[in-house]
Amino acid sequence: MSQVQIVSARLALLAAILAAWALLPKYGIVDPRLLPALGDVLAMLGKQLARPVVHEAIGVTALEVIVAFVIAVPLGAAIGVLAAENEYFGQIFKPMLFYVFSVPKSIFLPMFILVFGIGFPQKVAYAAFSTIFIVIMSATAAVESVKTDHVLVARSCGATRLQILMRIYVPSMMPVLLETLRISMIFNFTGVMIAEMYASRTGIGHLIANWGENYQMPELFSGVILLAVVAIAFNEAVRYVEGRVSKWRT
Amino acid sequence: MTAIQVDSLSHIYAGAEGGVPALKDISLEVEPGKFVVIVGPSGCGKTSLLMMLAGLRHQTTGTILCDGRPITAPDPSRVGVVFQEASLFPWLTAQDNTEFPLALRGTDREERRRRAEEMLRLVGLDGFGARYPHELSGGMKQRVSIARGLVQDPPVLLMDEPFAALDEQTRMTMGHELLRIWSQTRKTVVFITHSLTEAVYLADEVLVMSARPGRIIDRVTVPLPRPRTYEMMATDTFGQLRERIWQQLRTH
Repeated sequence: MSQVQIVSARLALLAAILAAWALLPKYGIVDPRLLPALGDVLAMLGKQLARPVVHEAIGVTALEVIVAFVIAVPLGAAIGVLAAENEYFGQIFKPMLFYVFSVPKSIFLPMFILVFGIGFPQKVAYAAFSTIFIVIMSATAAVESVKTDHVLVARSCGATRLQILMRIYVPSMMPVLLETLRISMIFNFTGVMIAEMYASRTGIGHLIANWGENYQMPELFSGVILLAVVAIAFNEAVRYVEGRVSKWRT
Repeated sequence: MTAIQVDSLSHIYAGAEGGVPALKDISLEVEPGKFVVIVGPSGCGKTSLLMMLAGLRHQTTGTILCDGRPITAPDPSRVGVVFQEASLFPWLTAQDNTEFPLALRGTDREERRRRAEEMLRLVGLDGFGARYPHELSGGMKQRVSIARGLVQDPPVLLMDEPFAALDEQTRMTMGHELLRIWSQTRKTVVFITHSLTEAVYLADEVLVMSARPGRIIDRVTVPLPRPRTYEMMATDTFGQLRERIWQQLRTH
């Protein structure tokens, strides 16, 4: 299939989904009390975005996501690089990291509430906790993707340690690191949402959980759309950069 | 002055059950502008020897002089290295790969570009500078590697089985091309290979190494005239030299 055909097919699929969402509830084929029509949801989204309560919730959620991300990614990357570069550290800690990584993080949420309460620190701590393991794993993989041959070539050209880091490690690792950034944001966002929906007084997750419990479906779906747009926009932005820096990977 | 002088070099690997002798009492001299090929069975330490000549590894005892001065660390202004396949940086274009050693030294951009373009032209890749390694054939990649090895104009070029991954035909062509480049630049070349035909075809002198611990067991001077031609491979002299080296490798 040509590129044009593929893109048209994708757009057609998107249009079909949106059309079904707009029309099926209207004609009663789908119960509009469970799935309100797209038009009603968008109207509700507009209304919600005008409410100060929603502004505040967006602000709180955004701050939680950003702070948790800024803690989890550099910390996890540092631990991952250490585990890959330092043989002893790696051998001792790697199995433990793999064990913990395999356990669903949400079962620890009650503990985070006991330790941190149900405010901002708890959301950040839990989201960072649920993100850091994937960052450690990926950073380890990124370091291991650096070819020893390339380091040897650089040394033969007289490269210093810093030059080897900047000119060999960084470009070699960049595609994997960006992929890590993207995937860790998915984990991070999920962590914040779970924490907010489970126990919270504010935040988008808290609003969505409330709307669901109160059977306010247009409000619920307007929240879903809002989150989906933000998550997809971040993911696609990083994916775009990823594509540009990993042209050489074939 | 000799281009390369190695005196009683030995190397012992620190293994689990004590030291493993890898190289034993290697001495050799290479006159400036000569093409010396080292052959030997796998694991005889010929790559280790080359790494030591490049300053990338340290011998246990013995000395290596290049241009009269000892080699203790990589010095790209004295020694250029061309590695086995896939040693180009895939995230850099052919031009940027060639410029790499100059970029490390902080040579200014214009000078870098000029030198790299000159080298790419020398290796027959004029106009391919903007290509990434994955857009080049195996032979072209090794041409870029040679350009990178020569870009700082070192008197000595070390080559570690540079054509081992190429198909037979490309390999012959590249050997011939290398001789052309060598005759234009008059570098001192130390070349490692498994192929006896390649060794005799390229070399002024072939050094034959034994299996572990690696020693030099024969030094074969190749009296074939320059420039070499493919027809020479069919001559008796060529066959006899090849046979002599093969016998040495077989009996040690």
